[in-house]
Amino acid sequence: MSFETIIGLEIHAELNTKSKIFCGCSTEFASEPNANTCPVCLAYPGTLPVLNERVVDLAVKAGLALNCKINHVSKFDRKNYFYPDLPKAYQISQFDLPICTDGAVEFECAGRHVRVRINRIHIEEDAGKLVHMEDEPYTLVDYNRAGIPLIEIVTEPDMRSPLEAVTFLRILKSILEYGEISDCRMEQGSLRCDANISIRPVGQKEFNTKVELKNINSFRELQKALEKEEKRQVELYRFDEGHKIVQETRRWDSAKGRTISMRTKEEAQDYRYFPDSDLVPVVIDEPAVAEIKNSLPELPMEKYRRFTEEYKLSADDADILTGDRYLSEFFEDTVREGAAPKAAANWVLGDMLRMLNESGIPSREIPVEPIRLCRLISMVEAGKISNTAGKEVFKEMFTSGGTPEEIVEKKGLAQISSEDALLEMVKKVIEENPKSVSDYRNGKTKAMGYLVGQVMKASRGRANPAMVNELLMKELG
Amino acid sequence: MSSDFISAGRISRGVAGKSFSAVEITESHISKIKANDEKIGAFLTLCEEDALAQARAIDKKISEGRPVGKLAGVPVAIKDNICTDGIRTTCASKMLEDFIPPYNATVVEKLLEEDAVIIGKTNMDEFAMGSSTETSAFRITRNPHDASRVPGGSSGGSAAAVAAGMVPVSLGTDTGGSIRQPAAFCGVVGMKPTYGTVSRYGLIGLASSMDQIGPLTVSVEDCALVLEVIQGYDKKDSTSCCGEYDKDYLSGSTEGIRGMKICIPEDFFTESLDEETAFAINESIRRFEHLGAEIEKVSLSIDHSDILSAYNVLVCAEASSNLGRYDGICYGYRAKEYENTDELIEKSRSEAFGDEVKREIILGTYFLSSSNYDRYYSRAVKYRTALKRRFAEIFSRYDLILGPTAPVLPFRIGEWVNDPVKMNQMDMYTAPANLAGLPALSVPCGTSRAGLPIGLQLIGPHHGERAILQAAYAFEQDMHKEVI
Amino acid sequence: MRISKDEVIYTAKLAKLCLTDEEAEKLAGELDAILADMGAMETIDMEDAGNDTEAGMPRGVIRPDENVVFGDRDKLFVNTKSMRGTFIQVPKVIE
Ligand SMILES: [Mg+2]
Ligand SMILES: [Zn+2]
Repeated sequence: MSFETIIGLEIHAELNTKSKIFCGCSTEFASEPNANTCPVCLAYPGTLPVLNERVVDLAVKAGLALNCKINHVSKFDRKNYFYPDLPKAYQISQFDLPICTDGAVEFECAGRHVRVRINRIHIEEDAGKLVHMEDEPYTLVDYNRAGIPLIEIVTEPDMRSPLEAVTFLRILKSILEYGEISDCRMEQGSLRCDANISIRPVGQKEFNTKVELKNINSFRELQKALEKEEKRQVELYRFDEGHKIVQETRRWDSAKGRTISMRTKEEAQDYRYFPDSDLVPVVIDEPAVAEIKNSLPELPMEKYRRFTEEYKLSADDADILTGDRYLSEFFEDTVREGAAPKAAANWVLGDMLRMLNESGIPSREIPVEPIRLCRLISMVEAGKISNTAGKEVFKEMFTSGGTPEEIVEKKGLAQISSEDALLEMVKKVIEENPKSVSDYRNGKTKAMGYLVGQVMKASRGRANPAMVNELLMKELG
Repeated sequence: MSSDFISAGRISRGVAGKSFSAVEITESHISKIKANDEKIGAFLTLCEEDALAQARAIDKKISEGRPVGKLAGVPVAIKDNICTDGIRTTCASKMLEDFIPPYNATVVEKLLEEDAVIIGKTNMDEFAMGSSTETSAFRITRNPHDASRVPGGSSGGSAAAVAAGMVPVSLGTDTGGSIRQPAAFCGVVGMKPTYGTVSRYGLIGLASSMDQIGPLTVSVEDCALVLEVIQGYDKKDSTSCCGEYDKDYLSGSTEGIRGMKICIPEDFFTESLDEETAFAINESIRRFEHLGAEIEKVSLSIDHSDILSAYNVLVCAEASSNLGRYDGICYGYRAKEYENTDELIEKSRSEAFGDEVKREIILGTYFLSSSNYDRYYSRAVKYRTALKRRFAEIFSRYDLILGPTAPVLPFRIGEWVNDPVKMNQMDMYTAPANLAGLPALSVPCGTSRAGLPIGLQLIGPHHGERAILQAAYAFEQDMHKEVI
Repeated sequence: MRISKDEVIYTAKLAKLCLTDEEAEKLAGELDAILADMGAMETIDMEDAGNDTEAGMPRGVIRPDENVVFGDRDKLFVNTKSMRGTFIQVPKVIE
């Protein structure tokens, strides 16, 4: 029997605001615990929440970017539960009337056209952070995060493999980044993902019992956690032990590389959702929605189409570039400074991407100015420095800053195009490599490559290779 | 007793006109409190030094010829569920016994802006749950008219403080009648404004959808004056009403009641209404008629047990959630012994909340739990919507509704405290205004044979404060004429 | 009986209140009386009652996305029973 995997995601994204959702406290990362708190977000008696208008705008923006229906009236509800990271003992969220519903994202993945429907997007507040002490029987509470605005995006179970889920999450992340809706810093928890997964025999209509995986903080972990759970469930069905799959929440332990049961459905909390009467319904009219729609930037799919048409980039290049808002912007800024699109794409996708990966610097913090890369490209194109030297200059620009001209000067990387200087080197190489010289004269044209290489080496890469070639041929007759 | 009364209006005029100083007024009220409160038990905290410092600052302003506010030198007592910066605010609960708010409620800020003097914090039912001030964790408050009887509640301390002449003005809070019923029991004026008229910022929440702060005063004139000060749009309260507020409710009040169309709901005169109260209200109706009101008896076709049920469901449900924050972590009572945080939370709550509070929290939790939500909470919300509509209909035809404030006379301390069902009945005439968000006022309308005060309630349409105050003022003036 | 002792205990647990057996017994009696008194709720006719959240509601107070720093930081934690540095300290939380 062959099986089919069913995956749905719930994504929490932190919204890009200066202040918290219901008070004026800063959302900036603060090194001092509880520095960004006030009576409101600490739930002091008598305090009341007042909604940050930007939160509504950004949630609507997310809804529009994900092709959702925007509900002109939505409301806030309280989700009641006790936990020390939740100062009010309820989380303000949206229950039965969320701000956005019924969206969809479409993409191609491993030859399948995937359409992931968005069930809903709702607004809610984040909780504080608990630090469990290692050697002492204490937990420390920091409410800096309490009240940070979030949207929760809930998909329908429309993904059929871990790869589709990861691809969807990548696309979602780039959409949220493009729209400046969220920073999506997964490493800092500003984009978090829970996954629901179940397995059913191909052809079966109804869904089998699903398991919820929590605490996934990267694309790689999402893929690993889903593959692991997929394998666990398929094995149970194979051995007719499908009944052992119970509806439960399992926590992904990335260190151990496995999921651990947290609670089953029977132990599920009764959250006693009900409308929060400290807040009024969120009302947003059509003109306001239209205005937000106008403010939406070009989204990744459109940009991809434009990059392939306008810049004639290959599908692969355009895909990688537009998958990352910051990379695509850097690329386009470089082209705008005058670089040729193909060359700019090669640099960005080659040396730049490698340096970013190696250094762990996120693409939003690219340490190079587009105009400097543009000048570097033209120096190489004009033959002022060699390709190899160009790579060295780029590395220096990336790690220590500086203009390409300064680096070329400082490192003495300017290409040697003086005939006298080059001729001297050529003669010396001919003198020192009689074997290769005779090989060449005996028709082994490959030897020429070796001799050019020797000259380049002698010049520490600075010799103009075209001239070296020409001079060698002339000397060797 | 009324010879002791000196009104807020007279005090502020006198202070501004240098007839007497703010310090003199403050000192004389503090000594009155010190002399009488042992017996009455209206106060939980007396702010003697702060109050005198405030009074001195006001006197200084006056001596320097600077303008002073509308309540210059007027001593005000604040119910202890309204936050006062740096002044202990307890909600009459062991849970907040040593709680010091780091901020002022908006109403307190507004009082201070108009140079009122905050003189102390008054006793109440614990977390405003109750109608007799007997559920306070700290003390019993006695009715100044009969010390063996309750002052009503939950704003019992605020009502008693005004009735005993210890302050001319106090603030109370009203979720189902907690200003109006004690005002009626203590023979003072008490008003619950339209929901959203007075900011709730700094009011420790019981039921957010119904809570309102309002004044308790010796006269309708003072009531209007204090409302003019504390009302207004507040950007810290999402449910605050924006728009224009009347700044002089009694201006042009010579017309009084003449031509007003007043509805007398037959539903309010059932066999559960105390006979002497019914008599006093009927006498008052004749007085209103005499003053030129058009009186019509109408059936609202509302069932009091439905109203009370819906009200109870909503209050308990909202309170159960609002009181979740008292977990002993960031502030409030913390149990002494616990193994882990879960236990810390559970023990702190169990040790610090009184029986009535626990009862309402558990009931509210029950109403909201997934298996009961539809049967109780959803129904109550729908009922409220239907009731609002019914009132809108009535107010399309009438200016005001007139009836009794409370179904009974002040009862004896200890008489009802163990009967929550009976205690709930206390809100039967007052809760409808809270459910519908309407303004309502209780004004003294006579006394029983034993000399216990009786209150008359006027309910108006949304933002109908002006009509209520003008009618109450004309009625009160006419009552006084007779007394004199 | 509208509410049993077990239900009272379960509900109290949800509300983070612990009751002794005696208290639970007593409360069950009281709550039962209250619920019986509220029996009328079940007969309320809800047919034409609309929803509380209706379109055309006034747009309530909303605030611009601006930082307002609470000035008096010292006052903020005077009520807190145990701090470690600027952290609030509680006994170990069991996950
Ligand atoms: Mg959520
Ligand atoms: Zn805050």
